[in-house]
Amino acid sequence: MFSRVLIANRGEIAVRVIRACRERGIESVAVYSDADAQAMHVRQADRAVRIGPAPARESYLSIGAIIDAARASGADAIHPGYGFLSEQPALADACAGAGLVFIGPPSEALERMGSKVAARQLVSSHGVPVVPGETPVDQSDGAIRAAASRVGYPVLVKASAGGGGIGMREVRTEDGLAAAVQGARRDAESAFGDGTLYIERLVDRPRHVEIQVLGDVQGNIVHLFERECSLQRRHQKLIEESPSVAVSPALRARMGAAAVAAARAAGYRNAGTVEFLLEGAGDGATFYFLEMNARLQVEHPVTECVTGVDLVHAQLDVAAGEPLRWRQDELTQRGHAIECRVYAEDPSRQFLPQAGPLLLYREPRGPGIRVDAGVEEGDAITVHYDPLVAKLITRGERRLDAVARARMALRHFPILGIRTNTGYLAAVLEHAGFRDGAIDTGWLEREGTELLAAVNADAPAEAAAAAVAAAGQRQHAPGPATAPAFDPWDTLGPWRTGA
Amino acid sequence: MSGAPLIVTIGERTFTVTRESDQAFQVDDAGITVEPAGSSAWRIRNGDESVLAHVVLDGDAVWIHLDGRTFIAGIVSDASVRVRRGSADEHALAAPMPAAVRAVLVEAGQHVEAGDLLIMLEAMKMELPVRAPRAGTVRAIHCRPGDLVQPGPALAELS
Repeated sequence: MFSRVLIANRGEIAVRVIRACRERGIESVAVYSDADAQAMHVRQADRAVRIGPAPARESYLSIGAIIDAARASGADAIHPGYGFLSEQPALADACAGAGLVFIGPPSEALERMGSKVAARQLVSSHGVPVVPGETPVDQSDGAIRAAASRVGYPVLVKASAGGGGIGMREVRTEDGLAAAVQGARRDAESAFGDGTLYIERLVDRPRHVEIQVLGDVQGNIVHLFERECSLQRRHQKLIEESPSVAVSPALRARMGAAAVAAARAAGYRNAGTVEFLLEGAGDGATFYFLEMNARLQVEHPVTECVTGVDLVHAQLDVAAGEPLRWRQDELTQRGHAIECRVYAEDPSRQFLPQAGPLLLYREPRGPGIRVDAGVEEGDAITVHYDPLVAKLITRGERRLDAVARARMALRHFPILGIRTNTGYLAAVLEHAGFRDGAIDTGWLEREGTELLAAVNADAPAEAAAAAVAAAGQRQHAPGPATAPAFDPWDTLGPWRTGA
Repeated sequence: MSGAPLIVTIGERTFTVTRESDQAFQVDDAGITVEPAGSSAWRIRNGDESVLAHVVLDGDAVWIHLDGRTFIAGIVSDASVRVRRGSADEHALAAPMPAAVRAVLVEAGQHVEAGDLLIMLEAMKMELPVRAPRAGTVRAIHCRPGDLVQPGPALAELS
């Protein structure tokens, strides 16, 4: 096992990995930018190395600075966390060049999974289903009509050269195809100078369901069941859970086997996630490979809560060359877990990210409640990095037990000094559609207006006004003041209203 | 322990709060009791309802967390609610959140049309454009590329 591990990340995931290292008797080395000199991950690590100024590209994204820090601190391995450099083959290669172990997949596997298009071709050739589609060699209207029939309606007609949905058209039946092809071809030509069209099966109201996998150097690969991640806004996941209400035991076995096959095709080892689009639910549902995330995921705690496996410990084990501790049939999924991502953002202003001090920050506690955070009261959310404040993970015997526990925990998670999405998360948890599990990747956008209206509906503002008055009075009581003293009755001039 | 009623504003609403005793307050027509419940925390009882509140001060605002909801309140010290608001210009020309200045696209003396991009800010990987709220001449620019700016003060002035 390693004696000293450098964590090439910040925030909650750095704190998470530091804890795991400490539990294993491994010294931890934090790295930090100037903006993070006082950050929690720096305070918690055994040692810390400055790697540059605040902008990520000059610090957390600088492979040279990370490798130098690892050398200077005498680390023997690097854990990349998620985001930043975690999926960069160049970091894995640089580790190998410096005699350091990269706690992640081999560089070649990162390469293979790095291109979505190449990854789909690779796994498809190993029998993993991908969304059916083709670029007809003959681009005549007749040939495209034939291709659409082969792919099966409904279809998406899109620019073969493009991306970002430019020129993309939905076609429900053959009647609508001719007009869509004309329009898409015109758009593709003007946007990309290439009118070649790609015909893809439209997956209607899909769920995003992903499978956690783990592989060792001995060649064993297991899966740790699914995570339901359909609740997304602008491709940002908001709430994840395991198991998924849409996944039956037979479907789970099929998806798990497909995920293992995809990982095997990539020559994968360590922790990774295979993402699928799921159409339908239960035994008859269809799933398609989307991409592989070659790293630990933000939402890994829900898997830990239902399997009892500590994924970071497992990462350390396999990176050190140890075999996996379990065969597939020894892994079980028990109970239900749900993760709510608490972001510093203002739902009432188009979810604008918020930066500022955590004047008050009190995590909820109790059985079945886990909070993974990289901040404490008195810290700040800065403008330099992403606005994740904390992950609230709750567990229960059944889905609605976990949901009720999350709802209660959010009510007891005061965060003051910046606006957060806790009220919005609670509104999602209370929505009848969510409680029924009738969700898909478009659900949050469709229900957006209703959810926002629910956030502060029937807010007990009178009680809040009384609390303001009482807090002001309290400042004059004997004993230590917990905030700057003020007495609204004595000292105040006109105040500006808050919004 | 006395004084004129306190005027508390929360969002669009304004409340008149009168202190009856240490723990008893009259908020408009409602009698509400507030007991200390730990550091920055209060137990609030309004009729049959009882909730826990956390309260902190933040400059000239007060943050309240109450049973899963967050409020930002303002206070005025007498019954004539005087609300100091910046001009429309100041609001439009200020950063919407703490941000870094990526680029300043205009100079003092330059004429701009309504909607022209004046300053590009960046925060949390998002570009935040600051645009001219109306046509006019740029009188001054109060930031430079690389500056970290806070919400509130205008980053440019129009005449």
